[in-house]
Amino acid sequence: MAVVEVENVSKTFGSGELAVQALKPCSFVVQEGELAALIGPSGSGKSTLLLSISLILEPTAGRIVINGQKVYDDGWTGVDERAFRRRNIGFIFQQHNLIPFLTAQENVALAMQLNGANRRDAGRRARELLGYLEIAHRADSLPANLSGGEQQRVAIGRALANEPPLILADEPTAALDTERGGKVMALLRRIARERRSAVITVTHDHRMIEGFDTVYQLEDGRLTRMLSPA
Amino acid sequence: MDLALKDIRRHLGKFIATIAGVAMLLAIVLVMNGIYQGNVADGVWLIDNTRADLWVVERARGGPFNESSRIPSDAWKSVAATPGVARASPLVIYGGQRDIGGRSQQLTFIGYDVFGGLGGPGRIVQGRSIEAPHYEMVADGKLGLALGDVVSFGTHAYTVVGLTQGAVDSGGSPLIYLSLPDSQEVQFQQDNRALVAARAANLNRLERAGYGAEQAARLLPLLSSTGDSVNAVLVRLAPGADGAAVARHVRDWLYFNVFTTDEERSLMLEGKLSKMSAVLGLFRTLLVIVAIVIIALIVYVLTIEKIRSIATLKLIGAPNWVIVRLILEQSLALTLASFALAYGLRALIAPNFPRTLAFVAQDTAITFAVMLVGGVVASLMAIWHALRTPPQLALGG
Repeated sequence: MAVVEVENVSKTFGSGELAVQALKPCSFVVQEGELAALIGPSGSGKSTLLLSISLILEPTAGRIVINGQKVYDDGWTGVDERAFRRRNIGFIFQQHNLIPFLTAQENVALAMQLNGANRRDAGRRARELLGYLEIAHRADSLPANLSGGEQQRVAIGRALANEPPLILADEPTAALDTERGGKVMALLRRIARERRSAVITVTHDHRMIEGFDTVYQLEDGRLTRMLSPA
Repeated sequence: MDLALKDIRRHLGKFIATIAGVAMLLAIVLVMNGIYQGNVADGVWLIDNTRADLWVVERARGGPFNESSRIPSDAWKSVAATPGVARASPLVIYGGQRDIGGRSQQLTFIGYDVFGGLGGPGRIVQGRSIEAPHYEMVADGKLGLALGDVVSFGTHAYTVVGLTQGAVDSGGSPLIYLSLPDSQEVQFQQDNRALVAARAANLNRLERAGYGAEQAARLLPLLSSTGDSVNAVLVRLAPGADGAAVARHVRDWLYFNVFTTDEERSLMLEGKLSKMSAVLGLFRTLLVIVAIVIIALIVYVLTIEKIRSIATLKLIGAPNWVIVRLILEQSLALTLASFALAYGLRALIAPNFPRTLAFVAQDTAITFAVMLVGGVVASLMAIWHALRTPPQLALGG
């Protein structure tokens, strides 16, 4: 089943002679359980595409369907973007972006509580999720007391908190060494396989490309090549 | 999950320091409330304690508190003879600065008819009122005197026969009660050398005017100044008497000015105390504004420090009210904790404060309400900034 369907989505900044087409019409589909990569140099349109799929940046034209719900069809379809993100999209960031005054468990539980879970249930499920990510022993630690790899695991836990069908990861291994980056990639693969989430990862990190099911390359705003490493 | 309290726990030192600073400012505001109400209470008490219905003062004057008023000592007899007057008695009141108990002290003398006259001491906590025509005094405890102490004013010594507590004028200066002639003597007594010099000057003036030595010697006592005046006459009306008619009679026939006790209170509140009220009001307003600005700056700085967290919250789908609540709660927590600490500080300061402090619940409630609204206003700038923060700020390195 297709989790993300992007069809002829383009984005132009400015108008007239000053217009810059950051994203030329591009189309792709990511299925459930698929681990996809978006690679490309700076300014190639990766972030524009990621922000469009995140319902943050409005494209100029095209159509976006996420988890069967049309969110953009030459204009936003009127979905409540934050409520939609809470239920359907998990985010993983390069700098982890954990809330510094919450413990690891609270960071994960917060996402659940924002989606309506009660405090006790969210706390229990957060601890279970940290166990799944093999970091339950650091559940009561503040982010400042966790290593980079541990922080990234907690961030992954927060992304998985509401069991979203889509996970968007922005350079998740950029701040980690090769060994820890490899572990994070293995974890993302495991999540895609076991939880059937579609994972789209924006990365510069060519060390990690081999682990993806599909690789899309963006260059000058055009989705020019599609690699499918065996 | 209460994000605000969890963030406060992380920045506890910063919060405590801010609360301590703001609380000290607010404590000053609360004490200023008490100073103003204390002055009003003291000033009004002095008027009420006389238990007079009318105050007769010098014509065209607003005395005796707001303006000097001098009327002849025996004018009270004319007033007493006015139809509708049950009792009239003279009153002397003036400020002084005297050495008492080894230190120079500001005080107010009150002279009254000690044999049944109006305007005698109230709030006597030890001893008795004045019973002798001379050389007895009742003093307020703030002067540091004890019963039986003897104090010299000029050429005579006065024994403390009674002590009051809280008997002060509108400026907070303690009162000393003397018999009427004693108070006049203390007020008008002159140094012997000054008397000799004045006498010589008058003699010289008479001789230059052509009077012989014998004539001049006879006229000399008539030219010397006397202390034969009082500042007001207090009037108690007869039962059923028309106060307005009595006042009209005194104005028209005796050529004095007359105020009812309510008018005298208004003169005190609108005259002497209104400027103090304005000054205190200005300072209170400035201090409250400074306190709110400090809270606003701290809340804004704390918000800027966690702007990336706020962007992350937006990105993971937190509704705006979660972010507004985070900031607003911190602002209100700072405000409420500061006010509570200020309230405690006020309780510590009050017993040792050198002036009367009268705390009125309404003043405290108004200050609290102003600070509560101020706390909300203080968070608006930070809320505005947070709500404008784009969620994509959370993305990227």
